[in-house]
Amino acid sequence: MPGAGSRAPHGLGLLLAALLALGAGGGAAYYGYNSPFPPPQEIRVPPQGAAGDMFALAFGARRLFADMWFVRLMQYYGTEEFAGDDEHENEPGHKHDAHCRHGANFGTGKYPGFLPMARHILEIDPGFVSAGLYGAGSLAFNMGRTAEAEELLAYGLRYSPKEWKYLKVLAAIGYSKAEDPAAVAGQIQPLLKEPDCPVMLKQLAAFLNKKIGNYAAAAVIYADIAATSRDEAYVLNARRELARLARRTVR
Amino acid sequence: MKNLLPLTWAVAANSFGESVRHRFFTLFSVFAFTAIYASVLAGVMAVDEEARVLADLGLALMELTALAYVLFQASSSLLKEAETKTIYLVFSRPVPRWIYLAGKMGGVMLTAAFMLAVMSCMHVALLYFRGFSLPAAYGWALAGSFCKLAVITAFAFFVSLFSTSSVSTLVISGILWTLGHFVSETRFMAEHAYGAKAVLLKAVIWLIPNLQLFNARDAAGAAAAIAPSAFLSGAAWILAAYLASLWLLARKEF
Repeated sequence: MPGAGSRAPHGLGLLLAALLALGAGGGAAYYGYNSPFPPPQEIRVPPQGAAGDMFALAFGARRLFADMWFVRLMQYYGTEEFAGDDEHENEPGHKHDAHCRHGANFGTGKYPGFLPMARHILEIDPGFVSAGLYGAGSLAFNMGRTAEAEELLAYGLRYSPKEWKYLKVLAAIGYSKAEDPAAVAGQIQPLLKEPDCPVMLKQLAAFLNKKIGNYAAAAVIYADIAATSRDEAYVLNARRELARLARRTVR
Repeated sequence: MKNLLPLTWAVAANSFGESVRHRFFTLFSVFAFTAIYASVLAGVMAVDEEARVLADLGLALMELTALAYVLFQASSSLLKEAETKTIYLVFSRPVPRWIYLAGKMGGVMLTAAFMLAVMSCMHVALLYFRGFSLPAAYGWALAGSFCKLAVITAFAFFVSLFSTSSVSTLVISGILWTLGHFVSETRFMAEHAYGAKAVLLKAVIWLIPNLQLFNARDAAGAAAAIAPSAFLSGAAWILAAYLASLWLLARKEF
């Protein structure tokens, strides 16, 4: 044992041992690690997003920045493209047409930046299945852009090939193109019990069930939305629909 | 030989005690608590994804706060003891340099573990307060953060022994932290490069610790578990930084 404050054996031996250890660690990491994330060439940075993406990679915080992109997407989608419509909903004689955004038109709009933003979330964190479902569902069923929804789901499936929820939504889109609401509702049904099922898909399932006359199933889904969702717009809508369904039952 | 472990522990415990008694520790703790609590706001903005955002933001804040503090400690620990001549007192006793260095590194790593433990208690309490259960693989995320902090602490000690100030140590260690998260992207670039550029990039991959190995925070579900080979890599990198630091420490005149 070296004496008080004595120097440890030094020289090239110590440095060589350090380099060997560094190489061993690097070698084990090189052969033992495969990145589950998309390569950088696939990241298409939307405007004003480059700095955020740099931090996402530099701090190893992909999930966090994907969350932020998801919040941005919801804010973008939550910004009305058509002004002054919903306040007339409860007026007598109001007819649901292409300009109102509740009922069958809930969530409609053009939102040209929706697909790039939704895809970007999956580029940053391909494990964010809920965002993929939300994006594809909104594109296909709210905005009628099935091709873009399929593109988004195809991208999600590339990094989560076993994700059955994506496959279910893909099948539902197929049935929606064939204008078969019962089949669409049937495809979405298994997703509704999943904790990461976006509330917009629940809303869609409830609406489709109502449309095909399956009021009991619709009421159950609306009750679930009202009880579990933290999105006030969906909760209010669900309560409104539950009241309507109750009135229908009373009649 | 039987005295070596208690001796290392004594140095580590002393270093840990100094770290947690430092006024910056209180400052960092208050900042972390405030930031974690403020994450509730971001969670509310995510509406139905509040649980995920709260968990992600909290884990990231905990890691970055602990990183800032341990880098501060690692960069100033040896420098301060040399400046205040405390190191002479230590070396006047039967404390070999290699034990002193191991104890100092261990003390800062203990501080990192302590900070993560305290902050995670607050984070979990906040999650329960908001009505959410513990996120999947939360333990792995914390373990991964600790491994990253342990590796960067060891490298910061090495840098502090040749850099001229604690600020330069902080900057170099910060760059290393960033590069450590870019290893996957560097590998991608190396696979698409030719000639000297490819060789240089491959050398960088082997020499820079791949911190993504421990980044369980970013993985989902079962993929969040850290592979045993990752722990081996981590141990090898810490050993490498320790040996290189010892080489520098041994060359210094005290």
